Amino acid sequence: MGKKIVLLLVVTLSLGAQTLKVPDAAQFVGQPQGTPVTGAQLTRRTNEIGGLLRCPVCQGMSVADSPAEMAVNMKGQVHELLQRGYTEEQILTYFERSYGQFVLLRPKFEGTTTLVWLLPAVALLIGAAVLVVTFRRLGRVPATSNQQPPTAPDDAYLSRVRDLVSGGKS
Amino acid sequence: MIAALGRILILASLFASAAGALLGFAAGRSRSLDGLNWARRFAYLYAGLIIGAAFLMEYALLTHDFSVGYVAQVGSRSVPTWVTIVSLWSSLEGSILFWGFVLGAYVGLATYFTRGKYVEYQPDAIGVWLSCAAFFSFLIAGPANPFLTVSPAPLDGPGPNALLQNHVLMAIHPPFLYLGYVGMTIPFGFACAALLKGRLGHGVLKPLREALMLPWIFLTIAIMLGGWWAYEVLGWGGYWAWDPVENASLLPWLTATAALHSIMVVERRGILKGWTVTLVQATFLLVILGTFMTRSGVFNSVHSFTQSAIGPTILAFLAVALLFCIGLLAFRIDKLESEGRMEGAASREAMFLVNNLLFVLLTFTVLIGTVFPLIVEALNGKQMSVGRPYFDSMVIPIGAVLLFVLGVGPALPWGRATSEQVKKALLPPLATAIVFAAVGWFANIRSFWTLLTIAFGGYAAHVTLGQMFLPMLQRMKRGEAATTAFVEGQLSRGRRRFGGYIVHAAVMGAFIAIAVSSSMRQQTELHFTKGQTQKVSGFDLTFLGADQRSEPHRTSIVGRFAVARDGKPVTTLEPRMNQYEGMREPIGTPDVHTTAGGDFYLALSNIDLTNQTTSITVYAAPLVVWIWISVVVMGLGALFGLVPSRRRAAAASQVREPLPEGATETA
Amino acid sequence: MNRTVLFVGVAIAAVLLGILFLGLGKNPNDIRSPLIGKQAPSFTLREVGTGRLVDLATLKGKPVVLNFWATWCAPCWEEHPVLVANARMFEPNVQFLGVVFQDEESKILNFLQQRGSSYPTVVDDKGKTAIAYGIGGVPETFFLDANGVIAAKHNGPMSPDILQANLQKVMR
Repeated sequence: MGKKIVLLLVVTLSLGAQTLKVPDAAQFVGQPQGTPVTGAQLTRRTNEIGGLLRCPVCQGMSVADSPAEMAVNMKGQVHELLQRGYTEEQILTYFERSYGQFVLLRPKFEGTTTLVWLLPAVALLIGAAVLVVTFRRLGRVPATSNQQPPTAPDDAYLSRVRDLVSGGKS
Repeated sequence: MIAALGRILILASLFASAAGALLGFAAGRSRSLDGLNWARRFAYLYAGLIIGAAFLMEYALLTHDFSVGYVAQVGSRSVPTWVTIVSLWSSLEGSILFWGFVLGAYVGLATYFTRGKYVEYQPDAIGVWLSCAAFFSFLIAGPANPFLTVSPAPLDGPGPNALLQNHVLMAIHPPFLYLGYVGMTIPFGFACAALLKGRLGHGVLKPLREALMLPWIFLTIAIMLGGWWAYEVLGWGGYWAWDPVENASLLPWLTATAALHSIMVVERRGILKGWTVTLVQATFLLVILGTFMTRSGVFNSVHSFTQSAIGPTILAFLAVALLFCIGLLAFRIDKLESEGRMEGAASREAMFLVNNLLFVLLTFTVLIGTVFPLIVEALNGKQMSVGRPYFDSMVIPIGAVLLFVLGVGPALPWGRATSEQVKKALLPPLATAIVFAAVGWFANIRSFWTLLTIAFGGYAAHVTLGQMFLPMLQRMKRGEAATTAFVEGQLSRGRRRFGGYIVHAAVMGAFIAIAVSSSMRQQTELHFTKGQTQKVSGFDLTFLGADQRSEPHRTSIVGRFAVARDGKPVTTLEPRMNQYEGMREPIGTPDVHTTAGGDFYLALSNIDLTNQTTSITVYAAPLVVWIWISVVVMGLGALFGLVPSRRRAAAASQVREPLPEGATETA
Repeated sequence: MNRTVLFVGVAIAAVLLGILFLGLGKNPNDIRSPLIGKQAPSFTLREVGTGRLVDLATLKGKPVVLNFWATWCAPCWEEHPVLVANARMFEPNVQFLGVVFQDEESKILNFLQQRGSSYPTVVDDKGKTAIAYGIGGVPETFFLDANGVIAAKHNGPMSPDILQANLQKVMR
C-alpha cells in the first residue's frame, strides 16, 4: 500500500513538474529593474511605449495605433511587463532581441544610428554659419553698378522710367 | 482599337515633346523668334496629344473596354461610376498617364499665358518643360504603358484597390497632389532659363512667383487632404505618421515655401537670386524624388508598389536632372548678380533668411529620416526604422522656432532699423503671447511645447493682425471712411500683401490646432456588450448592436453607437469593419463626430456579430477640425493674393516688348 | 565657375543617387531575423487535440523544423502538404513541429483532420511564443540544428526546394 502511495506521489509530482511554459521576458532581459505601474499611469505608459514599437505586419504603424492582432498581442505584452515592473529600456530590448532593430521606431543612440540624430544638428550649425557669412557678404555694396535699382514689385513701367532717368546708376 | 490609338497618341506626344524641346533650346541659343514660335507650336501639339490620350483612357474605362490593358487591370462593371472615373489614377500606369495629362495642361496654359512676354526666357523654359514632358511620355510609352492590348479581352475586371473605394476623398486627393507636384515643372523651367541666360531680371520674377504659387496652393491642400483621409479612413485616430509617401509630398512643399519667401527678397532688394533659383530647382528635384519614392518599391510604406522597370527609369531621370541642375548652378550662378544689399541684421530680409534656413533644415531632417534606413542597410546591412518618434522630436522644435520667426519677421521693417524701432516692433506682441499662454494654461494645457506654440502663436497673431490692416489704417488716418479704406487698401490694391497675411494667420491657426489637439488627446479602449452604456471623455456611449450590411463590392459589420452628453442625445456613430472581395484582412472604417470644439472618434478593434459584443478605441481631441479649415484658408489666402489688380494688369500689358533680334545682353 | 557649388552639389548627388541605387532590387518588406545563430527560445506548449505538453528542449539531439501558422492564412494551406510529406520523409532524423497562434482549437483540429498531419501541432498562449520568435506574419518557419540553435528562417510559404535547401544547413 505504501509503495502505491509513493508511486502515485512520484507520478503526480512528475506530471506537475512539466507545466505550460511560454517564453518570457525574464529569460532575455532578466528581472524587472523598475517599479510596477498601475491604473491610468499604466494605460498611458502602455500607449507611450507602444508608440515606440513598430507593428511588424503593418506598414509603418506603431503597436499602439494598429488594430492588427499581432500588434494587440504585443501591446498586451507591454502592458503585462509594465505591470511586473520592467523598465522601458528592458521592454524595448526584449522586442529588439526577437524582431531586430527594425521594430524600434525611435532610432537608438548607438553606432551608425546616432548619425540620424547628429546630422540635423550638424546641418543647423553649418546653416547658421552660412547665414552669418551671407549676412556679412550681402551687407557689402555690390561690385557692379550698371544694374537696375530695386523697384517696387510689378511696376515694370516705373522701372523703365527710373532706368531712363537715372541713366543706369545703381 | 482604342489600345492601338492610345499607343499612337503617346508615341506622337513623345516625338512632339522631344522635337519641341530641341527647338526650344535651339531658339534659346540662336535668339530666333521664328524658332521660338515653332517650339511653342510643338508645346501646344504635345499638350493636345497627351490630353487626348488621357481622355481616350477615360472613355475606355467608362465603356468597360477590357481589351485595353489598364482597363483589364482596374476596370469593373460592378463598381459605382465615380469609382470608374477615379480609377484612371488609382493604379501605377494610369497614374503616370494622369501625370502626363496634368503636365500637358500646365504646359499648354503656361505657353499660352507667356505669349509675347519674357521672350528672353521663353525658349529655354519651353525647352525644359518639354524635356520633362518627353521623359514622362517615354515612361508611358515604355515601362508604364497602360494601352497594351489584351487579347482575348476579358468580360470583366477586378476593380481598383479596395482601400480606394472606401472613401470619396480618394477621388480628390490625387488630382490635387498632381496639380501641385506636376505644376512645379513650370517654375523649374523659368529658373533653368534664368541660369541659362545668366540673368534673373525683374520682369521674370512675376511669372516665376505665380508659376510657383499656383502649384503650391494645390500641394498645400493635397497634403491636408492626405492627412484628413488618413484620419477619416485608416482608423488609428491620427493624421500624419511620417510615412515615406507622406514625406514625399511634404519635401517639395517645404522648399517651395522657402522659395516663395526668398523671391520676395529678390523683388525688394535684388539679392538672393542664385539662392532662389536653387530652391526652385530643388523643389522640382524633390518632386521627382517623391515620385520615385512612391513608385519604386524601395521604401517601406503604406503606399508600396512592387518593384518594376519604372523605378530605375525614374531614378535615371532624377540623376540626369540633378546633374543638369548642379552643372547649371556651378557654371551660371555667379552670373546672377546682386543688385542691392542687406542693410542690417534686425531687418525683414534677415528674418527671411532665417526663415529659409529653418525650412531647409526641416527639408534636410525629413529627407535624412526617410532615407536613413537605406543608408544604414547600405553601410552595414542592418535593418532599422526611423519612425514617428524621431520626426516628432525633430520637427516640433524647429516648427516652434519657425512660428516665432513668423511673428518677428513681419514686425521688423525692410532695411535698416534703429534699436528704437526694433523695440517698438518686437516688445508689445510679448503681452499677447503671455495672454495666449495663460489662456492655454487655464484650459488645462500643461505640455511645454504646446504652451510655447500657443505663446508664439499669440505673438504672431498680434503682429499679423497689425500688419494685415496697416494699409487700411493708414488710409483712415488720412481721412478715408472705414469701408472705402478697407476696399481700396486691402482688396483692390494690397491684395498680395493682404492675401499673404491671411496665409500667415491660417498657418498660426493650424500650428495651434495641431499642438493642442495632439497634446490634449484622450485615447480609451473599451469593451461593450449590447445595450451597455459607458462614460468616456465627457460623453455617454451606448452600444446599440452589431449589424451586417451587404453592398455589391463589400460586406460590412457595423457597430451602432448612441452618443449622449448630459442626458441629451448628440448623435449616432457607426464604425465598421469592411470585408472586400479578394482582400484577406478586413479594413476598418472609423466614425467621427466633429464639432468646432473637438472630435469624438470611434474605431472598431473587433466586433462579434453572433455574441453582439465589440471592442473599440475612443479618441477624443479638441480643435481637430480647425486644422483642415486653417489649411483651406491658407490656400484661399494665397489664391486671393494671386488675383491681379486692375491697375497693375493694365500697366503690365503696356510693357510687352520682345527683344529685337540679334540684341546683345544688357544688364 | 563656382567651385563650392560644384563640390557640394556633386557630393549631395553622389550620396543620394548612390543610396537610392543600392535600394533598388532590395525588398524593404523582407526583414531578416536577429535570432539566427542564437539559441531558440524554449517553451512548453499544449498539443492541440490531445492536450499533451510538448517541451522544445526535449527535442534537442536532432534538427527541428519549427513552423508557425494559422488556419486563416491562405499560404499556410498551400504549404501544409509539403510539410506533411517532408516530415514523413525525414522521420526520424528530423522533428517537425507546428505552432499555431491567434486561432481556435476546433478550427485547427478540423483543418488537421481534413488535410492530414504527420507531426505534433501545439497552440501558443496569447501570442507570447510568437513574440519571442519575432513573428511578423504567417507562415514563418525556423530551422533549428541538433543543439537547438536557429540556423535559418524562412518567411512565407514553404516549397520543397526551400525546405530541402534549409534542411541541408541543419543536417550536418
